Amino acid sequence: MIERIEKVAVIGSGVMGAQIAAHLANAGLSVMLLDIVPDGAKEANIVAKTALEKLVKMDPAPFMHKSFVNRITAANLRDDLNKLGEVDWIIEAIIENPVIKSDLYKKIDAVRKKGSIVSSNTSTIPLGVLTGGQSEDFAADFLITHFFNPPRYMRLLELVTGPKTRADAAALIRKTCDEVLGKGVVECKDTPGFIANRIGTYWMERAVTAAIDLGLSVEEADAVCGKPLNMPKTGVFGLIDLVGLDLMPLIAKSFLATLPTDDAYRTLHRDVPLFSKMIADGYTGRKGKGGFYRINRDPAPDRASDSEARESAAPKKGGKIKESVNLQTGEYAVSKDTKLSALENAGKDLRKLCEGTDKISQFAWTCLRDGLSYAASLVPQIANDVVAVDEAMRFGYNWGDGPFELIDRLGVDWFVDRLKREGARIPELLLKAAGKGFYKTINGKLNYLTIAGEFTPVKRASGILLLSDVKRASEKPVFKTGSASLWDIGDGVLCAEYHSKMNAIDPDIFKTLQEACKIIPSSNGKYKALVIHNEGSNFSVGANLGLALFAINIASWETIEQLVKEGQNTYRQLRYAPFPVVSVMHNMALGGGCEIHLHADHTIAHAETYTGLVEVGVGVIPGWGGCAQLLGRAYHHPKQRKGPMPALAQVFEQIATAKFSKSAFEAREMMYLLDGKHKITFNIDRVLADAKSAALELSKNYKAPEPYSYRLAGPPGKAAIGLSVGAMKAVGKVTPHDEVVIDTLSDILTGGKTNIIKMMSEDDIYKLEFEGFMKLIRTQGTIARIETMLETGKPLRN
Amino acid sequence: MRQVYIAGYARSPFTPANKGEMAGIRADDIAAQTILGLLKKTGMDAKYIEDLILGCAFPEGEQGLNLARLVVLLAGLPLSVAGQTVNRFCGSSMQSIHAAAGAIQMNAGEAFICAGVESMTRVPMSGFNPLPHPGLTQRMPGAYMGMGTTAENVARMFKISRAEQEAFAVRSHKKAAQAQAKGYLTDEIIPISADGYSASQDGCIRPETTAEKLSELKPAFEEKGSVTAGTSSPLTDGAASALVVSEDFLRANGLTPMAKIRSIAVAGCAPEIMGIGPVVATRKALQRAGLTIADIDIIELNEAFASQSLACIRELGLDESKINLDGGAIALGHPLGATGARITAKAAQLLQRTGKKFALSTQCIGGGQGIATILEAI
Repeated sequence: MIERIEKVAVIGSGVMGAQIAAHLANAGLSVMLLDIVPDGAKEANIVAKTALEKLVKMDPAPFMHKSFVNRITAANLRDDLNKLGEVDWIIEAIIENPVIKSDLYKKIDAVRKKGSIVSSNTSTIPLGVLTGGQSEDFAADFLITHFFNPPRYMRLLELVTGPKTRADAAALIRKTCDEVLGKGVVECKDTPGFIANRIGTYWMERAVTAAIDLGLSVEEADAVCGKPLNMPKTGVFGLIDLVGLDLMPLIAKSFLATLPTDDAYRTLHRDVPLFSKMIADGYTGRKGKGGFYRINRDPAPDRASDSEARESAAPKKGGKIKESVNLQTGEYAVSKDTKLSALENAGKDLRKLCEGTDKISQFAWTCLRDGLSYAASLVPQIANDVVAVDEAMRFGYNWGDGPFELIDRLGVDWFVDRLKREGARIPELLLKAAGKGFYKTINGKLNYLTIAGEFTPVKRASGILLLSDVKRASEKPVFKTGSASLWDIGDGVLCAEYHSKMNAIDPDIFKTLQEACKIIPSSNGKYKALVIHNEGSNFSVGANLGLALFAINIASWETIEQLVKEGQNTYRQLRYAPFPVVSVMHNMALGGGCEIHLHADHTIAHAETYTGLVEVGVGVIPGWGGCAQLLGRAYHHPKQRKGPMPALAQVFEQIATAKFSKSAFEAREMMYLLDGKHKITFNIDRVLADAKSAALELSKNYKAPEPYSYRLAGPPGKAAIGLSVGAMKAVGKVTPHDEVVIDTLSDILTGGKTNIIKMMSEDDIYKLEFEGFMKLIRTQGTIARIETMLETGKPLRN
Repeated sequence: MRQVYIAGYARSPFTPANKGEMAGIRADDIAAQTILGLLKKTGMDAKYIEDLILGCAFPEGEQGLNLARLVVLLAGLPLSVAGQTVNRFCGSSMQSIHAAAGAIQMNAGEAFICAGVESMTRVPMSGFNPLPHPGLTQRMPGAYMGMGTTAENVARMFKISRAEQEAFAVRSHKKAAQAQAKGYLTDEIIPISADGYSASQDGCIRPETTAEKLSELKPAFEEKGSVTAGTSSPLTDGAASALVVSEDFLRANGLTPMAKIRSIAVAGCAPEIMGIGPVVATRKALQRAGLTIADIDIIELNEAFASQSLACIRELGLDESKINLDGGAIALGHPLGATGARITAKAAQLLQRTGKKFALSTQCIGGGQGIATILEAI
């Protein structure tokens, strides 16, 4: 039996196969990508090779680091079939044709290593059909692993096993997908479309037909099916554009051929003539000329009948205008900003939204009524429990809440009652949930309603530690301010959680961290380490700029001085505290939200980490020790080139261009993570457990680090930077205020007026940071940048 | 006065920096293999070599220390062969030839290898640790000015249009491609291989390029400028070498002379327009040779940029049909330290091939200088 998956073969280098291969490579596996040899091809591996070339150029990038393409070998099914004997896991991702697949499986079975695992990425063909006619061994080693597109970014992995599948094979793949690939693995039953696409397709068609019947515009429909329902802001029409309009009839055809005869989808589905016309005209979505939305790059002024809308919709640059299709006429018109009173009145109250009487409310109710009832009617047909369904929709469609969580938001009794009043069919599971709901906290543990109608705890795989579970089980935090809390996560470890708006950093966060610095050393051994982690959608996007702008507007410079000093003091206090500090990076950790990690003893990064010192975007420099710490890391990096300039040049480039990483691996290259020291974790549900164990490990014989010392280049280094900035300026890449910011930044990074014979201390650099920050914050250019960022969320290039 | 002869020429392939076939090879390896190729080709016994004079524009990192001596040792030449590294930026290896000529006339040696090398892949322009003098940077920005900016200055000052530059670049590629096709370059190239990388022919030439294609490129150095990557010499890896000997040595050892050095010169000019350096240097060299420009039959004018090449052609009244018959640096590439030896030895080679009388090789040099050599046929 295979203990660990190390070598994987992916057969089929289409969009999915190639990207699955890329993600396996991200996770450090050795991958072979195979495809057919086209007739008359000179180069046998041309298909797989071409796929690899495309992967490197794709956006969003399938690779977490461009070098990972080297972990994939291109191969072909004519000459290299025997090489399948070397791999532990074979993933088939070829055309959805049972005959072709069956033929391939026989060839695979003849050469594969005993005990190797074979899985299919099929989204439509039942496992029973796939294993039909195959050997007993094959059936025992076979399962379905259904990845979602794009596989690097979509968390869901649907796992389907058959009656003959070996339990240990399924367990190994589950573990590999969870721990190595970072996927949210959801076990599905062997039914058409499994879980996510079964419900997702129904949901999309329900929304589309309801929008047409109720006379909603695509903008209106998407405004409802986005944020108000805690779903992605693409809505449904935007989502179909992304998936491809032309795929919808194919998906429908497949469902109509395979779904049970009484399935509600059959009643719902209808062909829409407009869509067929759009597909025929090439409006297949983002990959085509556009879809329900399109970008008009050359808007003719005379067509600007609704000039007001045009003005508000038109981005300032390049004359690009977003247009959307009229569902009644098929004509495109400028997309309108939708401010819908029904949505504004309801706020976050879903029930209130559904209780309204206008067409927006009717639309919301129709979608929720049918979509959620459909989901409820499918358990246990498609899944063992409601948790699987909710996870599938959260991980696979990026819903904020799964269908059963939405029902809980509406209130199950209210929902059932309204179904009754409208004479709708009520799924059995809903009746079982009456008076209970689907989720409940019992004895500090999250429970869900089983199909038997009993509550039972939600199971977490071993090694998963969620702060939300800790919080549910705790009576109250150890300490709390308006922006952050300290939680006892067990074994003597405290966790500092940010919970301000967007996790923006403010004095309350500093206060909380300072409190940790008091509590831990004086706890008589009760606490021995601190973890900094939160479960927000981003770790933190930086300082609270609103607060800064308020102080600027009333010219309260002391407030800002205080804010900068407080940040420096807090972060340095953490760095030199007598206990270990382990930080966790996930998603965006920008500006001040990056600087905190630079002060930690150790960092655990989720593989999807977008981090960097991006302060110049708002006209300032990193003032909470970001310059000092990154410089320290750069000068002391074992791979750094000798001399005063290479480290400086790297730090300067990163900060001056507000560069941020597009993965944890890039963050490592940028020294926000340290090579060989800081761990990259693929499954976000495992970061806290990893951080906790790192903290406990460090707490044995812990000694705080020594401060950095620096031998900086001084004015000659600044002159060298000036030369390269001058060259950038000549080609128009440096704006006037960039020059101001860069001048201050160069002073800090080169050590001001220092001479290369002098050693500088951390104190010196923090002081330069402070002075530089205070100098910039008073300039009009910087103030304008902050204002623009707060108003538009985009940097001003002044 | 003792006569000085060029008696051999060999170079490595010139390949594009970073993406070319020699990107993985160190400069010292390229230089050592080129020099061994030169010795083999000329039949010269290395024990008679007085000194390896090796030009390099950014002698640091892998091409740092006293690169010349290290190359002597790496190539396995006799320990008696000395080595000095010379830096006159782009003029470095033409300066190597000048230094040997001076030494021979001083009776300080009979035979010299005059070479140059640059891996622009592995040591970036300006090196790893540029630390300009802050005061000089302020007072005289030209001192550290980027070469592209000087090319723009020259284009403006001498009114060289973008279209003229592009037509010039296309001609350079055409000539180089023709020379390559006719096999004119084969003989001078020593294949290089090390660490799993290898190259046997030039990699920068683009025979298919046209003025239309070049006209689509964005200005490379100034937002509204006229100089593009297509009208600049590309960043290149490569080495070139020439054997320079006295007349007595030539006779005694039965070597075949290629040309005699008639005169040499260097001169300074304003750093902001360093591209016109060849004008002053050439005038000096002509005067020292007792010749006028009309007497010159073969011209090797280094094409750092099309703009400065055209400016020099105008200022000196050069006949373009005599210039860079086998293509220039825009097409072949310009490994900074190697170019001077290449164009001077190439001028000697062309005198032999065409049977003409006088040749000029000249280049511009960053910081505001020019260098020139006048050769006479045997």
